Amino acid sequence: MKEECRRDFERISEYLDGELSEDLCRQIEDHLRRCPQCRECVDSLRKSIELCKKAVYEEMGRDARERLRAALRDCFASDRS
Amino acid sequence: MNEMTDVTADPTDHHLIDQFKAGSMEAMEKIVGRYEDRIFTFGLKMCGHLQDAEDIAQETFLNAFRYLKDFREETKLKNWLFMIAARACIRKRRKKKCEPDHEISLDSFVQEDGSAGRYEIPDWSDDPSDNVIRAELKRIIDAAIQTLPQKYKLVFNLRDMEGFSTKETAEILGISAQAVKTRLHRARLFLREEISKRYKEGRSR
Ligand SMILES: [Zn+2]
Repeated sequence: MKEECRRDFERISEYLDGELSEDLCRQIEDHLRRCPQCRECVDSLRKSIELCKKAVYEEMGRDARERLRAALRDCFASDRS
Repeated sequence: MNEMTDVTADPTDHHLIDQFKAGSMEAMEKIVGRYEDRIFTFGLKMCGHLQDAEDIAQETFLNAFRYLKDFREETKLKNWLFMIAARACIRKRRKKKCEPDHEISLDSFVQEDGSAGRYEIPDWSDDPSDNVIRAELKRIIDAAIQTLPQKYKLVFNLRDMEGFSTKETAEILGISAQAVKTRLHRARLFLREEISKRYKEGRSR
């Protein structure tokens, strides 16, 4: 891996998260314009992060909700009223 | 930059905490209602099993209400709940006597030809009629997340799944912001590879 590619490979996440200074962003964007390999690397990482975010949602079942409330009532109802 | 943690309490939470401190059981149930799905989701993404996720949610709220009367709102209620939940996940894993975490090195992602590799990442469909494809994709993603070593999984779930900032995640886990950034980047690279691999395998079957 070329030095420049390696340097930016370490920073892609910070770049995608907007956590780099303007100077460093410009440096990376400059490199990406010239380097199709790194461009593809950034794109597929971005895509993979977005995909994970789409698939996040889980819902607790109604029974599990009820069991949670029952456990809390058992524990706390006696000393408060 | 999302470096600043906004410590202003959510007004609804603040009100409910006051009511709870005054002895209201109803306030306790309202707090549960506001956060149970998120804590449960976090537990499930951390442990991979419904029963474990339910245990994590119970342990989190039992501990939270045990100490809520002393909670001084120096951090947001939500962040404090995740701090308790993260500890519950770590304890649960320790009890199961799993193998120790392995480190993920950046070099492991550099290919033999010196490139960063090519990855085929599928698209997520927002079309409800694609629910079979979506279920299959979700299965691939969830299974990939389960293969992350715990310390990377904690950071990934808090940052990318729950949307906490770098600074908030550092506070929740008691680690440095730099450690959050390093672990998140490696976790994402790891997941990209796992998802791409599993997706390809699924299609060639
Ligand atoms: Zn490059």
